[in-house]
Amino acid sequence: MIISITQNDDRPIYVQIMDEIRRAIVIGTLRADEPLPSVRQLSADLRVNPNTVQQAYRELERDGVVYVRRGQGTFVAEALSSQPDRDKLASSVAERALRDAYRSGLTVTELIDAIHSMSNLQHDGKRATG
Amino acid sequence: MTTVPRLIQGRPLAVRTDGLIKQFRDKVALSGFSLTVPEGAFFVLVGPNGSGKTTAFRVMLGLCQQDAGSITVFGRDPDEGAAVRANIGFVPERHTDLFEWMTVRQMLDHHAAYHPAWDDPYAEQLIAEFALRMNTKIQKLSKGEARRVQLVMALAHRPALLLLDEPTDGLDPLARDRMFGLLADHIADNPTTVIVATHLVYEMDRLADHLGVMRDGRVIAQVTRDDLARHLRRYTVEVPDGWRSTATLGSSLLRRNDSQREFQWTVWGDERAVLRKLSMSGAFVRDIAPLTFQDAALALLSMYE
Repeated sequence: MIISITQNDDRPIYVQIMDEIRRAIVIGTLRADEPLPSVRQLSADLRVNPNTVQQAYRELERDGVVYVRRGQGTFVAEALSSQPDRDKLASSVAERALRDAYRSGLTVTELIDAIHSMSNLQHDGKRATG
Repeated sequence: MTTVPRLIQGRPLAVRTDGLIKQFRDKVALSGFSLTVPEGAFFVLVGPNGSGKTTAFRVMLGLCQQDAGSITVFGRDPDEGAAVRANIGFVPERHTDLFEWMTVRQMLDHHAAYHPAWDDPYAEQLIAEFALRMNTKIQKLSKGEARRVQLVMALAHRPALLLLDEPTDGLDPLARDRMFGLLADHIADNPTTVIVATHLVYEMDRLADHLGVMRDGRVIAQVTRDDLARHLRRYTVEVPDGWRSTATLGSSLLRRNDSQREFQWTVWGDERAVLRKLSMSGAFVRDIAPLTFQDAALALLSMYE
């Protein structure tokens, strides 16, 4: 699993870590009952305060995304259905896009139209080159 | 409207100073310096050059005695000397506080002798991570190498309190990155309170959980990261022609950047209350954004100017 966080992001670091772990579960690089890195390991890797990693793990546990086995660490929960996680991830991506659009004075319709035409373009591009 | 807190309350403190005053012959270094650093905090202290950070560290170490005011470090008076100092790791601002004629090995051995808790295997591990040349004379070291020696000296006895004065000064990018990894690892493994004085606030973004702002020998703001996240916002506002008003934000307006019809205001306070005031004054709020750690420090540094 690769977790990347960035300073140029409105989300607090613990939220970025949570989103990254959700992302890893959704795309399948982290699977049910697999361990997350230890707090110490991840904080040293990311150069992040261990309390921040702890906070991210705690919130994920509260959301039922991971569970803690005493003395052994934190593990990915058995996903009953990955759809709610995908939905959550999608709404956080949408929220950022909406915020950007609003900043630039765009309406929701303009944003959605742009997303459709961009994705059509990419689709066509793939077909053309593929 | 709420104002920026000057003290951190309700938690056990590792370092507490109350109204410290220190005057040198020609200069007031501390003029009522009241610092509250909770146990286990990673506390970043910012302030312009000459605002008193280095003197404050020296008082905490018992290397310099205040003229007035009180200080405790884990409940003890630094004036007790060596016993308090043994529990502190210190990276001084200057690289020249080492004994130039010693080799790195001799310097570390000398330092270890004063610290009963010195952990040899851990020291060896740090030496390896920082790639120190043990048989080189201190005077032959580059600035960055001397810095790394000082970091080993500060960490290897696993002190309860770490005082770092511009710790990355002189370190190349790789050594900086390695230092942050070691620091994160160190505080995950050892219960440590860290106070860092630095101008490079953005470097501490991922580690810091508290921010203190100094000006003219005193602390003008002390906040937790949660406080910052909850209360500090930059509002981008559009206003009609001829609009004028600061919407009675008072001292909670920390910074403003006004152009023709678009304003950017940095405000400390409850978001909904600020929004209500701005809207009532006829302004249209285009965006509300939290600040980066660096921008937050800048906003607090320039408040009331």
